[in-house]
Amino acid sequence: MEEAVVVAGKAIGAGLAMVGALGGGIGIGLAVGGAVQGMARNPDHTGTIQTNMILGVAFAEAVAIYALVVSLIILFVLS
Amino acid sequence: MTLNWSGKRRWIALVLVLASLVVMFNWPPVVPVIQLPGEIYPAGEVFGLPITNTFVGSMVVWIVILLLIRVVSGRRPRDGGEVPRGGFYNFFEMAFEGLYGFIGGIAPERYLGPIFKMFMTIFILVLLSNWLHLIPGIDSIGFLHPHVHKVEGHYELLDGFDLATLGGVHYLNGQCPWVSPEAVATMSDEALQARADAGCLSGIPAAEAADDHADEAADDDHGEEIDYHHLEPGDPAVPWVILPYVRVPSTDLNMTLAFALIAVVMIQVMGFRALGISYLTKFFNFSTLFKSPLGGIDVAVGLLELIGEMAKILSFAFRLLGSMFAGSILLFVISFLLPVIAPWPVFLLEFFVGLIQAIVFGLLTAIFMSLATVSHHHDEEHHEEAAAGAH
Repeated sequence: MEEAVVVAGKAIGAGLAMVGALGGGIGIGLAVGGAVQGMARNPDHTGTIQTNMILGVAFAEAVAIYALVVSLIILFVLS
Repeated sequence: MTLNWSGKRRWIALVLVLASLVVMFNWPPVVPVIQLPGEIYPAGEVFGLPITNTFVGSMVVWIVILLLIRVVSGRRPRDGGEVPRGGFYNFFEMAFEGLYGFIGGIAPERYLGPIFKMFMTIFILVLLSNWLHLIPGIDSIGFLHPHVHKVEGHYELLDGFDLATLGGVHYLNGQCPWVSPEAVATMSDEALQARADAGCLSGIPAAEAADDHADEAADDDHGEEIDYHHLEPGDPAVPWVILPYVRVPSTDLNMTLAFALIAVVMIQVMGFRALGISYLTKFFNFSTLFKSPLGGIDVAVGLLELIGEMAKILSFAFRLLGSMFAGSILLFVISFLLPVIAPWPVFLLEFFVGLIQAIVFGLLTAIFMSLATVSHHHDEEHHEEAAAGAH
C-alpha cells in the first residue's frame, strides 16, 4: 500500500512537472511564427532571421527541457 | 516517380519486416529498465574509477571520429587540384563549406578561425554521440545481470525477467516476468500452470518444483546464502535484466556537463583573447559607479552577467541531457509497445533531434563566443557609426 502511494506520488509529480512544457511550446510557436512572417516579407534576410530564430527557440526549448529533466529525475532517480 | 519492383533491396526489406513480425509474436519485447546514471560494468575499475557503458559509448564515438579523420584526410587532394575525389570526401567538403559560411555570418571576421574550430569540434562530437542510439542493438544487447539492490547490507530483489536460451545465447523471456517465491503462494493454479506451459523458470506450480522451493525457502531463512555476484545465468532465484554494453554518451550527465564546462570556459578564454583584461569589466563594472546617478545599476547588471555565465553551464548540460535521454526512453518505450512499424518514424524524429541538438550546442557556443569578443563600449560606438552612416 505504501509503495503504491509512493508510485502514485511520483507519477503525479512527474506529470505536474511537465506543465512547464506549456510555456516552451507557446514560446517556440511565437518565435517560429514571427520568423516565418519575417522571412516571407523579407526573403533576403532569411539567413540572419533563421540564426536568431534558432537561438531564441533553443532558449525557449531549454525551459521546457528543464521541466522534462525534473520529471525524468522524479521518475527514474528518486527512490 | 515510378516504383521499380524489380529492385533486390526492396524484397530484402520486406523479408526483414516479415521476419521481425514473426520474432515479435514469438519472443515478445521486454519492458525496459530505465536508469539515469550510466550502468557500471561488472568487470571492475580502472584507476579506481568505475567503467560505465556511457563511457564505452564515448570511446566508440572517438574511434569513429579517428577513422573518419583517417579516411577523409587520406582522400584530400594534395596537389591543390579541384577534381572531385568521390562522393564521401565531397560530402565532407560540402558540409564543411556550408557550416563555415553559416558561422561566417555570425562570428566576427577576425576570430572566425578559432570560433569555427570550436563549433566544429563540439558539433561533430555531439552529433555522433547523439546518433549512436539509432544503431540497433546499442541499447538492447548487453550483460545479463541479476536485478538486485543493496540496502543496508542485505539484497533487495527488484522487478525483472526469467532467462531463456536459444542456441547457447541467453535472453530475457518477455513472457515470463520474474515472480518471487512469496508471490507464488498467492497466485491461482491456472496462472501458475500457464507460466509452466510458457516455459518459465520461476513461479511454476509447486508440485513440480517442491524440492527446489524447500531449498529456496531454507536459503531465505538463513539470509545470505545466495551469492548475487556469481550466479549461473538463468538462475530462477533472482530477477534478471540487461545491462547494455554501450549506451548513448549524451544520456549521461557527466558527458554533457563536461562539454558544457569546456564550452563556457572557452567562451571566457575567447573574451580574454579579444579584449584582454578589460573583458572583466563586463562582470565588474565600477567605472560609472561614482560618475552617474545610475552607476549602481551597472554594477548589478555586471553581477547578473556573472550569474548568467553560471546558468549557461547548467542550460547547456541539461538541454542536451534532457532531449537525448527523453529520446532514448521514447525509442525504448515505442519498441516495447509495437516493435515493428511504430519505431520507424520515431527513429527519423530522433535523427533530426540529434542533428538539431548538435547544431544548437555548437551554434550557441559560437554565438556566445562572438558576443564575448565584443566589448560593451565598442558596441555602442558601432551603433553610432551605423546611425551616422545611415543619415
